Amino acid sequence: MSILKIENICFAYDKKQVLKNISYEFEKGHIYSIVGKSGAGKTTLLSVLSGLAKPTSGEIYYDDKNMKDTNKYEYRSKYVGVVFQAYNLLTKLTALENVVLSMDISSKKIKDKKKVAYELLERVGLSKEESNRRVLKLSGGQQQRVAIARALSYDPEIILADEPTGNLDSETQKEILTILRELANAGKCIILVTHSDEVARMSDYVYQLK
Amino acid sequence: MYVIKNAIKSIFRSKGRNVLIGIIVLAISVSACLGLSIRQAASKAKDDALDNMTITAQISFDRNSIMNDMRPDSSGSGGFDKSKFSESMKNMQGLSVDEMLTYADNDNVKDFYYTLTVSMNGSEEFEAVDTSEETDETESNDNGFSDEFGDMSGMMKPGKGFTIGSMGSQGDFTVIGYSTDSAMTDFINGTSSITDGNMFEEGTDSLDCVVSEELAVYNDLSVGDKIKVTNPNDEEETYELTIVGIYANSQSTVTSGDRMFGFSLSSDPANQIYLSYNALKSITTKSEENATISTDENTGMETTTAMPEQVSGTYVFATVDEYNDFTIEVYDMGLAEEYVVSSSDISEYEQSVVPLDNLSEMALYFLIVVLAIGAIVLVVLNVFSVRERKYEVGVLTAIGMKKWKVSIQFMLETMVVTVIAVTIGGIIGATTSVPVTNSLLKSQIEAADSKESGMEQSFGRVPGNMMGNMPDNMPQMNFDKGDSGFRGKATEYISEVSSATDITVLMQLLGIGVFLALVASVASIVFVMRYDPLNILSNRD
Repeated sequence: MSILKIENICFAYDKKQVLKNISYEFEKGHIYSIVGKSGAGKTTLLSVLSGLAKPTSGEIYYDDKNMKDTNKYEYRSKYVGVVFQAYNLLTKLTALENVVLSMDISSKKIKDKKKVAYELLERVGLSKEESNRRVLKLSGGQQQRVAIARALSYDPEIILADEPTGNLDSETQKEILTILRELANAGKCIILVTHSDEVARMSDYVYQLK
Repeated sequence: MYVIKNAIKSIFRSKGRNVLIGIIVLAISVSACLGLSIRQAASKAKDDALDNMTITAQISFDRNSIMNDMRPDSSGSGGFDKSKFSESMKNMQGLSVDEMLTYADNDNVKDFYYTLTVSMNGSEEFEAVDTSEETDETESNDNGFSDEFGDMSGMMKPGKGFTIGSMGSQGDFTVIGYSTDSAMTDFINGTSSITDGNMFEEGTDSLDCVVSEELAVYNDLSVGDKIKVTNPNDEEETYELTIVGIYANSQSTVTSGDRMFGFSLSSDPANQIYLSYNALKSITTKSEENATISTDENTGMETTTAMPEQVSGTYVFATVDEYNDFTIEVYDMGLAEEYVVSSSDISEYEQSVVPLDNLSEMALYFLIVVLAIGAIVLVVLNVFSVRERKYEVGVLTAIGMKKWKVSIQFMLETMVVTVIAVTIGGIIGATTSVPVTNSLLKSQIEAADSKESGMEQSFGRVPGNMMGNMPDNMPQMNFDKGDSGFRGKATEYISEVSSATDITVLMQLLGIGVFLALVASVASIVFVMRYDPLNILSNRD
């Protein structure tokens, strides 16, 4: 049974059609890769799936509920974790604060948020000392790991990630992919937008946008 | 909850921006606190002055209404009817004591007293205090006046007993009969006090009197002595008064210099003799019974030898409202339209608060300007601040924070900074408000005094004196409170406030702070609500 389903999704920026009649289904426990050439609409599709962009036509169903009847903020804060290509972290906050804030926004009952956040950050490869640094003082790769930790912080059903390994070295890339696999095995639905063949290869399903 | 936590953390993260907002709000709040304090102090000082004031009023003829009746009608036909006016003025009669007592029954009247004033002469053994300087070089005319004054016929003349038209002769003493102790305001307010003997019994018929120390010394009198006073219109008509007390007056003085300008000996407070109303009334009644009336062959004017008397009633009120009510209700009680109720206390009070009112008005305008400028500056600062935080809004909403929560967070940040700045501003304002208010009030009083003296100089008068140009070394006259008709001394303004900032001011200040924070926040709320997270994040530089 699909956790997320899109039917005949169309999206246009001004008059330029970016997505045209896209219909996909995503299930729990799998990793999906969306691939395609630059400008094919991969990031746009991810925005539509995260509820940030409203399709010009078509339907989106989350857990069989039409997204039109779902509160977008609640959807983004509880059910879907997004790893943005540009990370979109709050630069005046530390890595830890970014993760804790995300937990706060989700309103999910999490005991000892700080401890959970440290563990998550450690899991993506950030030491305690690095976790307490302001995001701006972290490298691109470290920021990407913070973004991943933030997306995982409130234990969402779906993880949407735009080029999650784009700025990571091969070793860290492997570690991240391992984490994603573990999450999929734990029953999460992982949807990745990627240019990386390696990422695509480890995916269960690959959707090609033309 | 996390919104509050986040707002507080955000304040510390963006110190520069918030310190700037804080400084601006601090400047606004200090200014606002001063403005509000000045207004509060002015209001409190006025209330205190009113509370401490006993309002007294008199009923007198409304000369203005008679003047208006005599004016030509709207068609312009006819002129001012002088004979009719003279007739009306002649027919004017003061209210009798009984009539005055009728109006004193009004519920608003707290107290009522009346006085009877009669002018009398002394005798060979009892003379009025005379401070006029008479020199051998100065020749006197028939009326006993120095020629240096030129022709002063028809004017009041200084010196011993003189005649004023049909009123008969003016004596050297002013004899005043008081209905009650409360009528003796000089003794109540402490200006006068008995230094030897006692005050006569209230309401006594006995011819007991009190005299001034100066008069007693001048005539070598002491308590228990008897003095003889005569009717100035008939030297044969004498009355014997017993001195039961001697009083000193700390303020009222008339010097020889003042007397040069037309005051009789009776206008010298030293020559005032006090006794009870009943005692004096018995004298005037006898005088009337023994009076002879003669008619002038040329003018046909009747002249009586009876001593002219003047009755004056004073109504006392606890509050201005009661006085105002009385001025309306007294006509319902039968007072004719030709009479008017007036209070010199109210006029003096209104005059005394002019600088305070000016300062209060100035403070209001200042407050409005400060708040208007402050609100604009804060709105602009907030708009810039939100635009600067556009990315933050984008990220927060992208990860699921509702826009209204973001708005509340921003609003809380402004509110916290504002409240802190307003608190500090309130403390600074409260500390400085009293000296600042008094300093500004002093400037206002100086301005009012300068305007007043400038006006008098334009009239060729020495400021503070109504008698025209006098030499610098000429002593000034101090009239008692209530001596209307002359402006003998400068207006006594309320010149100091003791407290300015109170809980009301602080609450108002806090209200202003919250209001400013809300106004400033509205701008940020509008911007936050308009922002689209996807647009912000995709268009980020």
